[in-house]
Amino acid sequence: MNASNNHNLALAVSRRGLLKFSLMGSAMLAAAGVTASLSGCSSSQPDTGYQVLRREDVSFLSALIPVVMQGTFVAGKEATATQLTLQAFDRNLAHFSPEVLKLMQQLLDVLGMAFTRGPLTGVWGSWDSASREEVTAFLERWKNSSISLLNMGYSSLVQLIPMAWYGQTEAWGHCGYPGPPTI
Amino acid sequence: MPVPDIFRQGIARGWKTYDGSALEQDLTLEADVAIIGSGAGGGTTAEILSAAGFKVLIIEEGPLRTSDDFAPLRENKAYPALYQEGLGRMSKNGAVTILQGRAVGGTTTVNWTSSFRTPKPTLEHWAKEHAVAGHDEASMAPWFAKMEERLGVAKWAVPPNGNNQVIADGCDALGLKHDIIPRNVRGCWNLGYCGLGCPTNAKQSMLVTTIPATLDNNGELLYLARVNRLQIEGSRVVGLECLAMDERCVAPNGRKISVRAKHYVLSGGGINSPAVLLRSNAPDPHQLAGKRTFLHITNFSAARFAQKLDPFAGAPQSVYSDQFQWHDGAAGEMSYKIEVAPMQPVFASTLLAGVGEQAAATMAALPHINFMLALGRDGFHPDSAIGNVELRDDGSPILDYQMTDYSWDGVRRAWLSMAEIQFAAGAQQVWPVHVDAPWLSSWQEAKAAINSLPLELYRARIGSAHVMGGCGMSEDPKLGVTDSLGRHHQLENLSIHDGSLFPTSIGANPQLSIYGLTAKLASQLVERLKA
Ligand SMILES: Cc1cc2nc3c(=O)[nH]c(=O)nc-3n(C[C@H](O)[C@H](O)[C@H](O)COP(=O)(O)OP(=O)(O)OC[C@H]3O[C@@H](n4cnc5c(N)ncnc54)[C@H](O)[C@@H]3O)c2cc1C
Ligand code: SF4
Repeated sequence: MNASNNHNLALAVSRRGLLKFSLMGSAMLAAAGVTASLSGCSSSQPDTGYQVLRREDVSFLSALIPVVMQGTFVAGKEATATQLTLQAFDRNLAHFSPEVLKLMQQLLDVLGMAFTRGPLTGVWGSWDSASREEVTAFLERWKNSSISLLNMGYSSLVQLIPMAWYGQTEAWGHCGYPGPPTI
Repeated sequence: MPVPDIFRQGIARGWKTYDGSALEQDLTLEADVAIIGSGAGGGTTAEILSAAGFKVLIIEEGPLRTSDDFAPLRENKAYPALYQEGLGRMSKNGAVTILQGRAVGGTTTVNWTSSFRTPKPTLEHWAKEHAVAGHDEASMAPWFAKMEERLGVAKWAVPPNGNNQVIADGCDALGLKHDIIPRNVRGCWNLGYCGLGCPTNAKQSMLVTTIPATLDNNGELLYLARVNRLQIEGSRVVGLECLAMDERCVAPNGRKISVRAKHYVLSGGGINSPAVLLRSNAPDPHQLAGKRTFLHITNFSAARFAQKLDPFAGAPQSVYSDQFQWHDGAAGEMSYKIEVAPMQPVFASTLLAGVGEQAAATMAALPHINFMLALGRDGFHPDSAIGNVELRDDGSPILDYQMTDYSWDGVRRAWLSMAEIQFAAGAQQVWPVHVDAPWLSSWQEAKAAINSLPLELYRARIGSAHVMGGCGMSEDPKLGVTDSLGRHHQLENLSIHDGSLFPTSIGANPQLSIYGLTAKLASQLVERLKA
């Protein structure tokens, strides 16, 4: 996280009189950013088969996608649908401007690294072993948090995931979309 | 392919174009007039200058995509390629999604074709409050008429699609005014995919009108090249430093292009034009560049109908209501124009986004959904929300847009107006697009719920497709970056011709305001350059 974001975070929170949590939260976010960039504890290389997403990102999104999209994927085909969504998510990120991509990666760093993930998401084990209930609780927590950066993270994730899925022809049956007209 | 591809034919005939992503070495280009950006303002200016005999070079950051590329109309291909920052643009706090085009033709390549003249109260407000001279309704009328003729603007004669019809039905039931939208199309197939690039060349965007005319008039086009800086000596621009971009238009590829011209026209649009000035350290004694940027801050209301509306098919916007636009004067409480948005599934899913079963059920109802929006008229009242362009570490711009209680109040009233119209049109349920609002089953219930919604960032979904201002015009150099003729107050051979000139938002979809104004400014520039 860069300095100006931390500043925003502290301000947003203290305005609501929750200074203590703010300091803890912003210290944690700052630490995550620094650690990620210095120590390589979050890998910076894209995972095999991806342009941008790293191994930790893939495991986080693999846990998140089926929860966000619950009720949308055809029964029995959740795994393939999750995979298609991941690939499309990766392509979309690969077209973002470098600064927007950086922001997304900082968000994913916070979610990926054990020492920020636990306190900020309530998911203490790895994403691979997180239950649906834990993931749902994390989303609720971020949606209703008094830290605006977490609200922003929530709103980006719940928009970028459907955006990735509904671009696929496989998604259109669910939403009654006949596909684009042939011309 | 259903129609001939105008660009492929032109290039075969010998049009002069340069693809920045394919350059093997650095390049130097010369012209009489260099135009930065190929959108509404840049395209209009290029045609007029080239027709007057000037050698014009258009420089565009985005890619060249033409009718053959737009078919087969896939959202997942179009958005990352044709929109600023690959569709990732948002306000600095991440709360406002900002849609702007980035391609040859600028935002006109992806816009929805609604064409309104600048409202009279807006022009009057500019004269009175912002020292704008010479742009009253009577002096602007011939320029709007000229561009309406040039771009085929006419009231849409085909019946509105189901999504648009809701506005007409609801307003009729309530006795509110509404009207048919004029569109800039010729031979439109009524497909509804204008936001992905028109595959039939029916949309009279800059891509198929003024830019081809410029290239026919000996003009040249450099695309996938970002103007990084104006090179300035004293009170003159002496050159442009451009960075060639990679094919995806994400990052510079290392090649550089220098441009020399006698006169320079900045037409990068809101956010981007001020960014060029800021990156160039252009003289700005009153610190105005990028200030007073406006968005028509937009909120949304979804409604579910028993019958199918198929909101993804048919002309995207064909009916509007100005009932709540001027009722309290130009500078009264925040007012808004009511329209709908087309709902292809990717676009729809981001607007209707949510988690789990509820979001799934909403998307499953897509064919039955009406999606209404209200364009908040920002910038007229001193307490209005306002944006300021800043540069990030890499020199790219970001908009710091600050909501205010005044503007939130407009957002709340807009939800009320939209829900009332939707129920009056027969909606079964209405959802004011806000994370805390449920689907509501009656107007009474909706009224109570909307009145108690917390007006907060990230909870209310807000966005913009109309970036305006940031290089405001004014006769007073303390109030404007340019004078009323678009001449930069401090740099004698630099003009600004795009939506960034507006001292406030427009109060109507802005493209025709930009065409009319820049046609006038370009014609006057021709006279000055010939003198
Ligand atoms: C989805 C959508 C739908 C819309 N629908 C409508 C509608 O129905 N009716 C309406 O009136 N308006 C509509 N608009 C808005 C309208 O199209 C824009 O307001 C208008 O095109 C702006 O014109 P402009 O000249 O200011 O800039 P633009 O048309 O945005 O053109 C600016 C161009 O300059 C390029 N550029 C910027 N900086 C640089 C640089 N440094 N170097 C090189 N190139 C640069 C950009 O890439 C861009 O292509 C819509 C907008 C969107 C996003
Ligand atoms: S609705 Fe008309 S103008 Fe829009 S994309 Fe279809 S054919 Fe083109």
